Amino acid sequence: MKKIIERKREWLRALRVGWFLALRQIKRSNKGTTALIIFIMILTFLNLVVVSGLLLGLISGSFEQYRKSYSGEVIITPAQGRDYIENSQALITFLEYHPQITNLSARHGVNVQLLGTLNDNPKKNERPNRVSGRLMGIDPIQEEATTNFSKYVKYGSNLNPNEEGYILIGATLLKKYSTYADANIPGFDFLDNVDVGSRVRVTIPASDGEIAKDFIVKGIVKSKVDEVSTRMFVLDKELKRLLPVNKEQYQEIAIRTDYANAPALASAIKGFMGSYAARIQTSDEAIPSFLRDIETTMGVLGNALSSIALIVASITIFIVVFINAITKRKFIGIMKGIGIKPLAVELSYVFQAIFYGLAGSAIGLLLTFGMLKPYFSANPIDFPFSDGILVVTPWSAGIRVAILILVTILAGFIPAKIIVRKNTLDSILGR
Amino acid sequence: MIRTQQLFKKYQDGVSETIVLKHLDLEIQTGEFVAIIGPSGAGKSTLLYQLSLLDKPTSGEIWLDEVRTSELSEVEKTTMRLNKFGYVFQDYALLPELTATENVMLPILMQGVEHHEAQKKAERALSRIGLGDKTKSLPSQLSGGEQQRVSIARAIAHDPLILFADEPTANLDSANGRVVMDAFSEIHDEKQTIVMVTHEPEYAKRAHRVITLKDGRIVKDERGG
Repeated sequence: MKKIIERKREWLRALRVGWFLALRQIKRSNKGTTALIIFIMILTFLNLVVVSGLLLGLISGSFEQYRKSYSGEVIITPAQGRDYIENSQALITFLEYHPQITNLSARHGVNVQLLGTLNDNPKKNERPNRVSGRLMGIDPIQEEATTNFSKYVKYGSNLNPNEEGYILIGATLLKKYSTYADANIPGFDFLDNVDVGSRVRVTIPASDGEIAKDFIVKGIVKSKVDEVSTRMFVLDKELKRLLPVNKEQYQEIAIRTDYANAPALASAIKGFMGSYAARIQTSDEAIPSFLRDIETTMGVLGNALSSIALIVASITIFIVVFINAITKRKFIGIMKGIGIKPLAVELSYVFQAIFYGLAGSAIGLLLTFGMLKPYFSANPIDFPFSDGILVVTPWSAGIRVAILILVTILAGFIPAKIIVRKNTLDSILGR
Repeated sequence: MIRTQQLFKKYQDGVSETIVLKHLDLEIQTGEFVAIIGPSGAGKSTLLYQLSLLDKPTSGEIWLDEVRTSELSEVEKTTMRLNKFGYVFQDYALLPELTATENVMLPILMQGVEHHEAQKKAERALSRIGLGDKTKSLPSQLSGGEQQRVSIARAIAHDPLILFADEPTANLDSANGRVVMDAFSEIHDEKQTIVMVTHEPEYAKRAHRVITLKDGRIVKDERGG
């Protein structure tokens, strides 16, 4: 017991002397060298946080766009094997009075054929200028409040609640605007010669034949979310009139609420509806699984790159501390000679390494949260399937700081130990 | 107080062997001021390193009071150097990033004395050797003589049993050398045991006992005034 107390005392003394030495060595060392080491640590920290954050951000950006431009925080769609959401009207009433829901957009949806050229008269062996797709009926005011829809109308203008006979077409369906148009993918058709102002014909299949109506293209909708850019949109009240059956039942309801509150809200809706009547999902649940796989892959890739950054950081600190210790080998010998415990000397180098790690991390955190994150939020990276943002939370950054400091401690301790364990007299005499 | 018994030291470099100390028997009593002199290569510094536990003899024994030092671990030797010994090196050996006070404080802090108390002790030691106005100076801001006096202050601040000095005036001009030797004399007057290696007969005369080494043997051991 006495031995343990004495060892504890020795440790405390070594800590105190190590801190005393480290503080003064940092304070009175060459400022340029200190700045350079901290600069390297900042770059290492950014490499750890920002590179993996951007990789994740490329896919998370797509999740965010999916949520913001299509699903909202909670999306309700028909249950498996059903054409519509059962008891849509009662559900809408429930949702409209729910205190946690800020906005919602109820959409009708039907599979249609869209004929691009009305005087189309294809020659033999030529296919008509026609595509199949999903026509959605939307209330422009509700949709705007829920998904900021007008932002995605890139050419022409948005639907007006008081103007009927107009249609918006997703850019992916049009040869002129689709990024897939040059790919010549079998079974993937595009409308040719259709642009803002063109007249198109929508044909809805019905049990007693077909229902057809002509529309004028009012705008082209373009988004990195397929659910927006592969569809067509008309006024909901107009589509409702065209639908042969189930006019009062909706096919999609997108709901805006607080993101953190989405699971609770989804549960509340399930409680109201029952699981047979509709499929109720949070935006995270509704995201296709292949995107989740990409997210995992990006995470692994980010961690691999972070590991390389950590190795670089540890080697940097190792070299810095080793050079620092080897140039002061004589003084280390003198300290040991006058009775300073080797542990105290080693700790002085560890404290210095921690200082470099902490300073680099602190400035790195400031840059990340004060500059880079807001910058990438305001100016996302234009990636083909998403707008890449920087994904970094205080928690994930904190973990990386902890890892960096841990690596720094090791990288500072090992070279100090190597030099300190050398023979005291040899160190003093420079042998 | 400190006693050697058949102290033998040789250095081996490949196949060549250099015998530096040849079975020395020596005893130094509390309060003595001993100067070790001799020509280059006589083994003066080597003897000092053995006595001060900075080096291990090849054979033989060193006793500090009743402690047989060969039985001490490296950690115990470090503790003994901290608590019982003081060192003055030829080239001052001050840490460049620490002020005069901080250099002197360092071993006192290692002993577990509180920071404030250690600082007071260090300042007292500096005042004692006439450097009360240089407490905040860095070594680079001090002359060679002043640096050596700071080194002496560091060596005595924690009240060691024995003060070891390895050619403390070798790097100083004669004026500064005298100042440093005056400091040693004053410290010795306060009953401090001092063991000093020097090659300058004039400074050796300040000691009360002069041991002359030649080829690793004591050839003369004179006690004077």
